Amino acid sequence: MVENARSINIAASILLAIGILYIVGPLYLTLSTASQSYEYMLRNGLASLPGTELIANMSKVIHETNIPIQMLNSVIVAFSNGLATCVLSFLSAYAIVYFRIRWAGVAFALILATIMLPLDIRVITTYQVASNIFSPLNAILDVTGLNSLIETAFGSPVHLELSILDTHFGLTAPLVAHGTGTFLFRQFFMTLPKDLFKAARMDGAGPIRFLFDILLPLARTSFASLFVLTFLSGWTQYLWPLVGASTPDMQTAVVGLARLVPDADGRVPDFPMIMAGAVLVSLVPLTMIALLQRFLVQGLVLSEK
Amino acid sequence: MKSESSLFGHRWLPLLFVAPLMLLIVLFFYVPVFQAFYWSFFLEQPFGGTSEFVGLQNFQRVLSDPEFWAATGRTVVFMLTASSLAVVVPLMLAIAADRKIGLSYTARNILVWPKGVAGASIGVVFAFIFNPFVGLMAPLNALFPGLWNPGIDGTDAFITLVGAHVWSGIPFNFVILLAGLRSIPHTMYQAAAMDGAGPWRRIIDVQLPLIMPHLFLTFVLEFTESITSVFALIDTITGGGPGGATTLLVYKIYVDGFRGFDLSGASTQTAILMVFVLLLAACQFFFLGRRINYER
Repeated sequence: MVENARSINIAASILLAIGILYIVGPLYLTLSTASQSYEYMLRNGLASLPGTELIANMSKVIHETNIPIQMLNSVIVAFSNGLATCVLSFLSAYAIVYFRIRWAGVAFALILATIMLPLDIRVITTYQVASNIFSPLNAILDVTGLNSLIETAFGSPVHLELSILDTHFGLTAPLVAHGTGTFLFRQFFMTLPKDLFKAARMDGAGPIRFLFDILLPLARTSFASLFVLTFLSGWTQYLWPLVGASTPDMQTAVVGLARLVPDADGRVPDFPMIMAGAVLVSLVPLTMIALLQRFLVQGLVLSEK
Repeated sequence: MKSESSLFGHRWLPLLFVAPLMLLIVLFFYVPVFQAFYWSFFLEQPFGGTSEFVGLQNFQRVLSDPEFWAATGRTVVFMLTASSLAVVVPLMLAIAADRKIGLSYTARNILVWPKGVAGASIGVVFAFIFNPFVGLMAPLNALFPGLWNPGIDGTDAFITLVGAHVWSGIPFNFVILLAGLRSIPHTMYQAAAMDGAGPWRRIIDVQLPLIMPHLFLTFVLEFTESITSVFALIDTITGGGPGGATTLLVYKIYVDGFRGFDLSGASTQTAILMVFVLLLAACQFFFLGRRINYER
């Protein structure tokens, strides 16, 4: 198809250039400011050119703040979020699609409903549950009257307490309680040919064997996409780690970065150091995107369908 | 599909597979959601202790609080402005990147980068870039004093929030809309071209109508997203100020609950926000239903 599309191509190029500038501009200013000294920033404001202080500012962040240990926390939380979401979602989608169970539809609906109310909205009461994960059990025992029965039999009612606040498990578990992964794997299983299943059955493969030898190798790309997606979402969480961890050495890097900015006291904060922190904190996820972009894009498209 | 051999017939194995995820979901989704509604009918003491059934008093208290209505109004304004921009900007970029021009490959790569930058991180960066004394606007402020100061002027603070939100939202919406555009069959363009529609005309007559489902979907997802994920931006850029001008509902709930220890008030507002979001989600399913009409 040959036609004159010059005007639209020029307009499109200009638009894309502006879009790229909008995305890269803040990142560039972060990097260039991170490489200047505090005095330079006070005199000249935003640095349009990179300076020579990047290493100095970064080592200030590494030695004088909690960012290094917090980055370790972020790696742990993001990695376990990715891994746990992949494994648990795969298993639940497998059960829902490949087993003859009456409650499959109900289970899927219950899992899928989690997509509608993000964690940020239910943070107040999720915090209460995390501060004692046995509180629902205690409440059930109280309401059903089982506890008064136990009290008459054993002398005291059952009241269990276990707080998962300030633990890596507590920072991760509420993030895993999400339906996107199950949805993604279910969609993937539905696209597989039915004959695959029949052939495997005919060869005598049971549910475990079918899972490991046939589905798992086929689902590698879906695993990668979901892992990249959930790793990034675990890394970039803010509100939950903010309330779920109260000590600096349990907080995640993103929360730690926000804490680097002092409360307003009239003085201009040490922005070069803060920007160096922002560079450090964004380094891991940005590297991941650069290397695994294919999977990220695929994951985004799949999770929408 | 429903023939005898088409599914496994185990009894306890599927239960075992679903149980771990279901346990987490019940514990960290259904219990908190239930508790938010439950607590909105009780007066809760902040440090455990007794709770007292008060009926609709919490709702009366919240609904008669002008601060609540102000925060709700700001939430709706933010939702409408920020999410429209966060869909329209990626839409224009996606239409541009769908053309075979030099920049489109680079753009497709770069425009997903924000996915790796946390909302709070870009908030810290935007707080610096739009700092009135050392940031981007500092030279202009020197010429026209008082032109730009997000620390004093609520509108400036609001604009900074919207700018940061659109920045963060580009990857998802761009990828979804581009995927929609790329799934339009080539023959559609050829047919339109035969009928004399030039490339500009085809944006209106072919591309936009055919990606309507994607567009609606990104819009409704973006509505929920803009209400909730804005917390990280508010907390790092404005802290709800100046003078409460950027205190949106999700931020007010956090402040009331974790700083004011008003658990009943925070739960009641959470319950109201949940109902609001669920109504939006109902719209989403309505629009998902419409997708069938556009099947190609």
